[in-house]
Amino acid sequence: MTDDELVYRRVFAAPRELVWRCLTEPAELAAFWGPRGMVTPIDGIVVELRPGGRFETLMTGEHGSHRMVATFTEVVVPERLAWFEPASGVHTISTLDDLGEGSTAVVICQRQVPEAMRRPEARAGFLSSLDKLAEHLTRLLQGERS
Amino acid sequence: MPTTVEDHQLDALFTALSDRTRRDIVARLSTGEATVKELAEPYAMSMQAVSQHIRVLERSGLISRGRHRQTRPCRLEPAALETALSWIEESRRTWTERMDRLEAHLARLQQGPGR
Repeated sequence: MTDDELVYRRVFAAPRELVWRCLTEPAELAAFWGPRGMVTPIDGIVVELRPGGRFETLMTGEHGSHRMVATFTEVVVPERLAWFEPASGVHTISTLDDLGEGSTAVVICQRQVPEAMRRPEARAGFLSSLDKLAEHLTRLLQGERS
Repeated sequence: MPTTVEDHQLDALFTALSDRTRRDIVARLSTGEATVKELAEPYAMSMQAVSQHIRVLERSGLISRGRHRQTRPCRLEPAALETALSWIEESRRTWTERMDRLEAHLARLQQGPGR
């Protein structure tokens, strides 16, 4: 993992197998996936747990609905799960780390993959650095020189 | 997470900002407008190459060029930067809140008998 990604880390007081189940079983995903004010009904969730399999969720709320359509790029039970959303070009990689004594660290890395880099043959080179970019843009908006 | 920004616009934005020279040009324009000639000065590259970078930035909406003067100075369009930032902010919020709900859900699962 490099530091040029958007990264979210959280330690959960739960064994890794249980956290994995929550991230991969529709019945569990339905309980927490949708953003605030929206629901993610179980029958709108598709999880084909293998590389190349579909990962889709339909989130509905008062102000409309949002469908996430993604493809799993990596499935390593129970430690690593990655998927790619072609519409937004976002690659999300989740890593589950067993910390012992029934606790698990989950790290979510997101990278915006520029369109030119999405073709499989364009493998080398950069992936846009979202965290640094965010800082950079914030500085620019505040009118400072970087 | 209903998104109000167009994906293709974000594509163009992130592609535009994925290059060091273009980020540098954006940073310089944040202090005021400049002509292509002025922007090209510090770089060891042809005017043509700099013009190419500027066209990419223009297509992404990050910069615009004046119409009336012959030199057509480049200027920054902060609204496009806001678009990129708001996408990043939305992603951050989505995942922070999702982790909160997962935490609560895990606690519920482990609490009592059954679900």
